[in-house]
Amino acid sequence: MLKSSLRRWSINNSIATKTNLRNGPRQLVLSHSYSQQVQNSRKKETNIQEDHGNAPKNGKKFALAYSKYESKDYKLPKWKESLGEFVISAFKLDMDKIRAGPVAGSYYYSICKEQGLQYENEPLSESAKYFYSYLKLPKTFSQWFQITILHEWMLFVRMRAMPFKYGRNYQQKLVDRTFGDIELRLFEEMNVHSGRIVDQYLKDFNTQLKGAVFAYDEGFYTDDMTLATAVWRNLFAGRKNINFSHLEAVVRYIRSQLYVLTKMSDREFALGNFKFVPPNEIVNKLTPVEEKNMKQEVSMKYKKLDESNLILPSERSSLSYTN
Amino acid sequence: MSTIKEGAKQIVRLLEKLPDERFKHLISFKETQIDRFRRMAGLQLKEHKEANKNASLDDIKDIIKRTKGPLGLKKDVLQKLRATIPQDNYTEQTIKQQIGSLENLIANKHMKYYEVGDKLYQPAGNPKYYQRLLDEIQGKKNETFFTALRTVFFGK
Repeated sequence: MLKSSLRRWSINNSIATKTNLRNGPRQLVLSHSYSQQVQNSRKKETNIQEDHGNAPKNGKKFALAYSKYESKDYKLPKWKESLGEFVISAFKLDMDKIRAGPVAGSYYYSICKEQGLQYENEPLSESAKYFYSYLKLPKTFSQWFQITILHEWMLFVRMRAMPFKYGRNYQQKLVDRTFGDIELRLFEEMNVHSGRIVDQYLKDFNTQLKGAVFAYDEGFYTDDMTLATAVWRNLFAGRKNINFSHLEAVVRYIRSQLYVLTKMSDREFALGNFKFVPPNEIVNKLTPVEEKNMKQEVSMKYKKLDESNLILPSERSSLSYTN
Repeated sequence: MSTIKEGAKQIVRLLEKLPDERFKHLISFKETQIDRFRRMAGLQLKEHKEANKNASLDDIKDIIKRTKGPLGLKKDVLQKLRATIPQDNYTEQTIKQQIGSLENLIANKHMKYYEVGDKLYQPAGNPKYYQRLLDEIQGKKNETFFTALRTVFFGK
């Protein structure tokens, strides 16, 4: 069963890429306030707020793609916050489970999707320049999806290393959010008006996701060449005139991100302290001494926090900070 | 020019040494790239066994089912796409780069350098995940109906 569904995917992948091209040039032209927002957001550190600037300004409400609760400006009223803390401590709620939504579903999704996000007539972000200018990928919706799932897969690899109950939940939240977001984008940004066509696209994207995760997993576990062919089939859509240096660059990019992920403890990762290393930077390996110091620092920090009574019930976590 | 041909021949030799893909996909990296560089090196093209295989009725049905949606590509879109895809204009230096990159990939350079260790290869949440996946691809038949059901219900 596994095999047949995967074989189907590879047909699907190339077709989906083509069909989506049709919608490519119809991409949204944003209002002028976007570039101001970009400038402002560059000053701030990477956070969910950056995403806010990309929201189409046509006066419509966005239920999920651009939630006001994800904006950095939004502050929960004090009484709501206290009530929340009370409920968490009274019912002894498992915060590691609850946190999956805001961390994986919201924050981690936002860093995955902004890597390849581009709008027509808007300057490309640094990471988008890498994908569209350096790797010369076509600027289409399905290409953006491929870039996004490549980054999501890297996070999946790390999430598998968390305790099963939590890691699984994180993965689920990330996937749920992805498809919720794509659905909205298809309607609002790609101007698809038919629910039936959107459903078709969503099914296509779902098979693409399964196929890509399978192929990347195989490549990750076996060798660089297999990973490179997986990248070639998915990210580069099996293009014949492939530049091997580009393939090598992407393999290197993936391996370096996974290296950073493996050096993070479960606690740090689950609290959303991870950021992708920008493609124009090189990850240097840690020396054993540096690694030891880093781990010591982290475990000291969380040990202190856990022992003190200063942290709020919503900030508690049972995940390990030493691994 | 001759150095480019020599380079292309070297790439063909490297590609031919690659093991076959573990899983049969619709397109094979090895085959398409061997074809491409054989042409560049002026070598004769090989006939692929798989290329002559006729598609079964199920395959055709499957393709039709999937292409029923909007497939009409507009000409300007195609042109735009072609403009972004790099062409094969190799110089002596770029072909050397290609060979270098391919050699690095074959030598597993990045996997060795950015070693992630058992933390990710045997992930705590699901230690046998990758091994099971690989066994399944290689057809080791370790999976039974019940282990499959277990995965469906418990996720691992």
